[in-house]
Amino acid sequence: MAEPTLTWAGVAPATPEIYLVMALCAVLLVEAFAGEKRRGLADTLTLVVLLVGALVSAVYGHVSERTTLFHGLYVADELGYVLKLAGFLIVAVTLVYSRAYLEQRDILRGEYGVLCLTALLGIFVLVSANNLITVYIGVELLALSVYALIAFDRESGVAAEAAMKYFVLSAIASGALLYGMSIIYGMTGSLDLDVIAARVGAGHASLGVIFGLVFIVVAVAFKLGAVPFHMWLPDVYHGAPTSVTLFISTVPQLAYFSLTFRLLAHGLAGVTAEWTQMLAPLAVLTLIVGNFVAIAQSNLKRMLAYSTIANVGFILLGFIAGTPAGYSAALYYTLVYVLVALGSFGVILLASRRGFEADSLDDYKGLYARDPLLAIVMLALMFSTAGVPPFIGFWAKLRIIQELWVTHHNALVIIAAAASVVGAFYYLRIVKLMYFDAPVTNAPKPAGHFGARVALGLNAAAVLGLGLVPGPLLDLCARILH
Amino acid sequence: MLVEVLFYVFATILIAAALAVIISKNPVHAALFLVLSFVTSAAIWLLIEAEFLAIVLVLVYVGAVMVLFLFVVMMLDIKVEEHRRGFTRYAWLGWITAVAVIVEIVGVVTARRFGVDITRGAAPWPASYSNTQALGSVLYTHYAYPFELAAVVLLVAIVAAIALTTRTRRGLKRQDINRQVNVQSTDRVRLVKSMDAKSP
Amino acid sequence: MITLAHLLVLSGILFALAVAGVFINRKNIILLLMCVELLLLAANFNFIAFARYLGDIGGQVFVFFVLTVAAAESAIGLAILVVLFRERRTINVEDLDTLKG
Repeated sequence: MAEPTLTWAGVAPATPEIYLVMALCAVLLVEAFAGEKRRGLADTLTLVVLLVGALVSAVYGHVSERTTLFHGLYVADELGYVLKLAGFLIVAVTLVYSRAYLEQRDILRGEYGVLCLTALLGIFVLVSANNLITVYIGVELLALSVYALIAFDRESGVAAEAAMKYFVLSAIASGALLYGMSIIYGMTGSLDLDVIAARVGAGHASLGVIFGLVFIVVAVAFKLGAVPFHMWLPDVYHGAPTSVTLFISTVPQLAYFSLTFRLLAHGLAGVTAEWTQMLAPLAVLTLIVGNFVAIAQSNLKRMLAYSTIANVGFILLGFIAGTPAGYSAALYYTLVYVLVALGSFGVILLASRRGFEADSLDDYKGLYARDPLLAIVMLALMFSTAGVPPFIGFWAKLRIIQELWVTHHNALVIIAAAASVVGAFYYLRIVKLMYFDAPVTNAPKPAGHFGARVALGLNAAAVLGLGLVPGPLLDLCARILH
Repeated sequence: MLVEVLFYVFATILIAAALAVIISKNPVHAALFLVLSFVTSAAIWLLIEAEFLAIVLVLVYVGAVMVLFLFVVMMLDIKVEEHRRGFTRYAWLGWITAVAVIVEIVGVVTARRFGVDITRGAAPWPASYSNTQALGSVLYTHYAYPFELAAVVLLVAIVAAIALTTRTRRGLKRQDINRQVNVQSTDRVRLVKSMDAKSP
Repeated sequence: MITLAHLLVLSGILFALAVAGVFINRKNIILLLMCVELLLLAANFNFIAFARYLGDIGGQVFVFFVLTVAAAESAIGLAILVVLFRERRTINVEDLDTLKG
């Protein structure tokens, strides 16, 4: 069996992954030899690695059309190109926001950056997966790095508890994913998603395929955090160090979008009618539980966790539309959500001090008087998530509802609109706390790193700017999913 | 015929061992029953000619993973008595789920619409077939990409396990060879003028 | 002759026992981790059975990677368990109730 040898031209589209593996080894070596003497060196290096990575993959990683590499195990397309570029930049921003937080809690160690990079590699693998094996390894590489990140603060019992809960539940979900994959493999006789897509014909799906599909849908719902598989999400967001919460609420969303897209919308496109039927009740429950439980929360991290769940409901609705336009609406919503979550957790990070987590809602009373910049940023972000025009969140919600309307899911349109109205209540409550209430705690005046504050300002500006000019990003999302 | 008898023997032991894993209260017993499950699984895999994986299962799982489990169980020194208080209030739900899942899986697998013919036997391999060779010839060629990624997965496990569990105790007196070798005489001996030298 | 049905039913029983184990052993995390190992074993059984009856090596390669990943996973899981035990002196699930709301 003669296999063609690898050539540079043959692997060029995989530049982001190859670069990332080499770079993370370099960071690990630097940390091993110089980490003791120079705290924060590896962290700075990680930041440089990410920025260079964005540049390298922007130049070398682009492909004009869908191509498969490594014997069909890897797919390079415009979706992957955009998501990887976004991944590099988002992780870089999370590191900028987290620097001061990590320093103050003495957890600024090189392994933190390395684990962020391996998680990013897992995301890349998932984004470019075209085979059940690569999907599984991507999911696990991401999950393993995230477990370690959550438990990274060894002094914190709460973090260890959150990590343990996430670990056990996530491992069970992986088991379900594997079991479903094994059935699909048995039914189609292939692990390759292109072949599976060709063999799972529309209309005459066998019972076996549906049986495997159930397990896969459960696993995907768990990873996304859809109700009733959401139990882990509030605990993990609350228990993890805030810098890790920032990480897991942003970049992995890109991976989970790809997981759903590659596995369900591409590989199992033949049974779209079946999986949209399974996802629809989950999406409705997710919207209801996410929005209503969020109202009762007194902890901001927990409230944002339920807000994440509510947003996941919207992303699922985009998939339920079952058309390329629906998927592109889901992609747009995902990107918008990530941008807003980045800012929201960034505000919590910058408002916190050593010994003061700034995660209770009471800590935000009168924030405007203490730190106008943070209050203005938070105002923009909360208006955006609430769906107030002209902020970007409005367009995201509108696109999803439009696609549901076009595909005649009228009941879902009503539920989505009602959920947005309920959601607006608790987002606007935070705005009221910040601007009209007197401070109750004698919280110290926030004063984060200058760079982080500039980044946060730009973050909020993007939320407003992309809302005023929504065209380019919408066109991009529509173009790369056709 | 012999193969079939062996299959039923091993399958019975496997199910009994798996049952023992989930109902034993003592983690050490559970771990040992899990070892038994893995060994009998490996035997069944041998019967269906997946020799390489059968051996890997014994080496990796029984030899490494289960030893790690036992090591942690003993290191943590968990009081067995505390866990003898009986099952949780969800136990009945567990048994109902188990029965429901078994009925469902058997029902689906044996249904006519399942999709593949499940009553057929496997086509025999030619005499020259080697399972290890077959795996090896695709693992480093066709599946080179996930193989490289598996290396990163193991790297993550190493980094994570070390980052989470090493404790650097403060005030510990460690030997630093580098400093010992590079020491200069001036670091150790300081020449001071004696008071006596001034006085005549 | 061992047919595909034999193996699929056996893996189904293993899967069911593992799921039941998750419900039953909600007290002890180490037992939960063992149930997860059983779950993976059930999935591996399926892959190997299908690989044999399809005459395709792909399923066996998948099992090879699952074994690798599962080994890494248990290493990290047990590391987290050790961290947790140091902080809390317990691995009883019902004692882990700090995170509620």
